[in-house]
Amino acid sequence: MSQRDEEELQRTRETLQETMNFLGAVAAGLEDAVGESAKSITYLAGKNLGHRVCVGARRTNDVEEALVELRRVLKENGCLWTFDRFYSKASRSTSAQEGADEVLLVFRDCMIRQALFSYGHPQKGSLCNMMFGFFAGALETIMGRTSRLEIKHAGENACLKCLTIDR
Amino acid sequence: MEGMVDIQIHEAACRGCRMCLDICPTDVFAFDEGRGMATVQAAEDCIACLSCAYLCPSNAISHHQFHAVKNFYRDISFCRRMERFL
Repeated sequence: MSQRDEEELQRTRETLQETMNFLGAVAAGLEDAVGESAKSITYLAGKNLGHRVCVGARRTNDVEEALVELRRVLKENGCLWTFDRFYSKASRSTSAQEGADEVLLVFRDCMIRQALFSYGHPQKGSLCNMMFGFFAGALETIMGRTSRLEIKHAGENACLKCLTIDR
Repeated sequence: MEGMVDIQIHEAACRGCRMCLDICPTDVFAFDEGRGMATVQAAEDCIACLSCAYLCPSNAISHHQFHAVKNFYRDISFCRRMERFL
């Protein structure tokens, strides 16, 4: 990547992070105003966004390919939500539960986490739920299957989430 | 995927409180009953969330060779831009 590209990327990130900080403040206000319902509202907003950005995405029924496609769509839309599959020392495959596939994802650079930390908002709130909605909407469009993304652990430098995709 | 994170436990500092074992989501640590302290048993499973290092009351855990997230709000140029909102 050239220096000009890096500078451009940095500018994009800063602008995006400013917007996300603003959204963080809105989400925190929403939680105060409507309580637990805030999570449903942000979830549905995220799901709607996930549907829309994946309209032109390649369709697949394979979990691994769907995640690659989702990564591509995020990058194409300038969203810097980088995530990696997590394989433990003991297991290197997708675990299959009854009627569903489960994968563990590690989120490192996350705009939401940074926005929350900026103003001391707690993790696992309505803004995180927007992200769950985004994944649900995106994977429903790409795979035609319903899914859930749950936080297993919210850390200061990375989060571990469990993605469950219904068959 | 990132390379393996290097985790060090400062043996003299560890008080054996087991808080790192409780907080770690990927079971990186084990407890050595004989020595009464935590040990690293699966460094390759570490996702570098750094929760153990933040939580450790005696600051005995350190991480090396990991991806540190970009904290824009600590970046001077970013903070200047944020002044518009503050």
